Amino acid sequence: MNKKLLAVIRREYLQQVRTKGFWIATALIPTIGLGIIFIQVLLARSMVAKGRIGVVDMTARLYEPLVAEYQKEGDRDPDEEKEKTVAPESAKKPTLPTKMEFFKVDATPETLAEVRKKLNLDVQKERIKAYLVLEAKTLENGVAEWRAESVKADMVMREKVAGLLSRAATKERLKDRGVDPEIYEKARLRITVDPHEAKEIETETSKDAGFNLAVSGVFFFLIYISIFIYGAYIMRGVMEEKNNRIVEVLVSSVRPIDLMLGKIIGIGFVGLTQYAIWGALAVLASLPGVVAMLGMAEGMPPIPALTIVAFIVFFLLGYFLYAAIYAALAAPFNNEQEAQQLLMIPTMLLVLASTTWFFAFNQPNGPMAVVLSFFPLTSPLLMFMRISVQPPPAWQIALSVAMLAASVWGMAWLAGRIYRVGILMYGKKPTIPEIFRWVRQAD
Amino acid sequence: MSTPAISLAGVTKRFGKFTAVDRLDLEVPAGVTFGIIGPNGAGKTTTIRMVMNIMKPDEGEIRVLGEKMNDRLQERIGYLPEERGLYRKMKVIDQLLFFAEIKGVDRPTALKRLGPWLESMDLSPWLQKKTEELSKGMQQKVQFLGTIVHDPEVLILDEPFSGLDPMNVILLKDFLAEFKRQGKTVVFSTHVLEQAEKMCDRIALIYRSKKLLDGPLREIKRAWRDRVPLPLPVEPEPELEAIFVKVVEESGLSAPSAEELK
Repeated sequence: MNKKLLAVIRREYLQQVRTKGFWIATALIPTIGLGIIFIQVLLARSMVAKGRIGVVDMTARLYEPLVAEYQKEGDRDPDEEKEKTVAPESAKKPTLPTKMEFFKVDATPETLAEVRKKLNLDVQKERIKAYLVLEAKTLENGVAEWRAESVKADMVMREKVAGLLSRAATKERLKDRGVDPEIYEKARLRITVDPHEAKEIETETSKDAGFNLAVSGVFFFLIYISIFIYGAYIMRGVMEEKNNRIVEVLVSSVRPIDLMLGKIIGIGFVGLTQYAIWGALAVLASLPGVVAMLGMAEGMPPIPALTIVAFIVFFLLGYFLYAAIYAALAAPFNNEQEAQQLLMIPTMLLVLASTTWFFAFNQPNGPMAVVLSFFPLTSPLLMFMRISVQPPPAWQIALSVAMLAASVWGMAWLAGRIYRVGILMYGKKPTIPEIFRWVRQAD
Repeated sequence: MSTPAISLAGVTKRFGKFTAVDRLDLEVPAGVTFGIIGPNGAGKTTTIRMVMNIMKPDEGEIRVLGEKMNDRLQERIGYLPEERGLYRKMKVIDQLLFFAEIKGVDRPTALKRLGPWLESMDLSPWLQKKTEELSKGMQQKVQFLGTIVHDPEVLILDEPFSGLDPMNVILLKDFLAEFKRQGKTVVFSTHVLEQAEKMCDRIALIYRSKKLLDGPLREIKRAWRDRVPLPLPVEPEPELEAIFVKVVEESGLSAPSAEELK
């Protein structure tokens, strides 16, 4: 490998790694990530169904059974109790405590309007949380009316109440048909569908699947965010050399293409260093001793090797592709403002690519996912996601990588031609036709 | 005769409809100090950039030390462009070592070579500072050291004196004189004729993309003796530069530090 290129790589790498910004980002990104998870856990805990609920029961048969159902279960869901006895190995779902209080509101079809008025006021003044109106037909059509401050809020509470009402109503309807509700209680069974791979030796159990998907999601996000961050580094670096007027000193010693590649490779190593630090921290955090100390019930299952390999390959290729684009777009301009319009193009493509994870997630072999996992500007993200959800045939992976690598090569060539002319252009903002002319210029 | 340090044959460069350099023939013999003179916009910088292979000529051929530009050849040339600068956030020593490395000099050799220069230029205490913390004058010294750290055989400087403070002008002149003593070739462009007159063995005058005059300075002066008015004889008087140096010396004050300059 040529020594000058190595010197450029070394300089780029050390300059970035020595900045405070690098270490702050390295510490901050996982902190923010964990912070978000922590906040979500807190939020989930705070989603307790809580409050007084008025019940306008015009069936005259549901209020007491509803209260009875609620008291009987306390804050336990009998469905889940049963689930546990049937499938004890299935992951434990956290049950949400509820603190609801029902009270009966008398009304007749004639007084209903009056009663509503009063209850509406109670809701608005926050004296009660909500009220239910059970019309006489409720036991036939299964529709109850929920009135609260917002139609959208309190989803958890509404679900809970719906569950209680359904059981109460079912028992009433069984009584009408002469069946003892106790039989229903005993006969009820909830079946969970436990996914397995159709192979003799299973590599992934359903217990690990959730974790693996979460890991893939995190990696997917990391590829996306790092291309963004390091792409911006490239852009700023190119413009810095141009604005410091150092670039002409450099190109008298180093070929412009080496200067560009050195910058891209050096900053790529910065990215890998950051991942290595995070990886080491993650390994440390999953050591049995540490796990016990942090009070986690069980350590993390190992991340599949294929996922890690795919992550590194697709991060590097995707990064190189976008880095070359950013270098080419930064070189002709004097500052970020001038480059802004053109920079929108790779940025939008990247954002679009990031929104397509759903295709790979839901239907990894669907036409949309397959096409997007070949298209070089989206394949780093999409093929990675497909591999981690359901590895596609080897030829597809090979083709995707080959197309991506070819695009990286082509883009680097194109970027190099724009770069070598652009970095020496000062003053007037060049037009797009001018930039194309640079590409066609002979060596 | 030995190979010329630089030779250009029929070199032309156009930017769109504008011809920046027009069929230029130029030969710089080895070991001379050569001045390219002419007003701004005459084509001096374009010529130098083509010699450095930063731009390609549309026509003609350029050779340096008998070779077409290549990686190895780059390492034998020191180049100080008109548009020059340093990495602002980089430490002075890292910066100098980087310049050495991209000229193919390994770090230990570069450090050994830099030692005496750093001492004589009072740069040693600043090695671990970031470039942006240095005064302008100090930065100019770093820039110049970066140009010669690989001990080049040919030095090409584009308007080297523009923007230099008086101390550094003297420093640079001394350096160039030393280079000449070592038999190295120095080529520099300038629009200040006085400098060219004092320092150069040979000059070329470029005006409106064309070479109008070329040759040893002394011969040129002899040839034009009868055709231009001669200056009136004047009493010898000291040069301002010499006075400046003396005054500074006798004041007993040390050179200002960067903090003071800020």
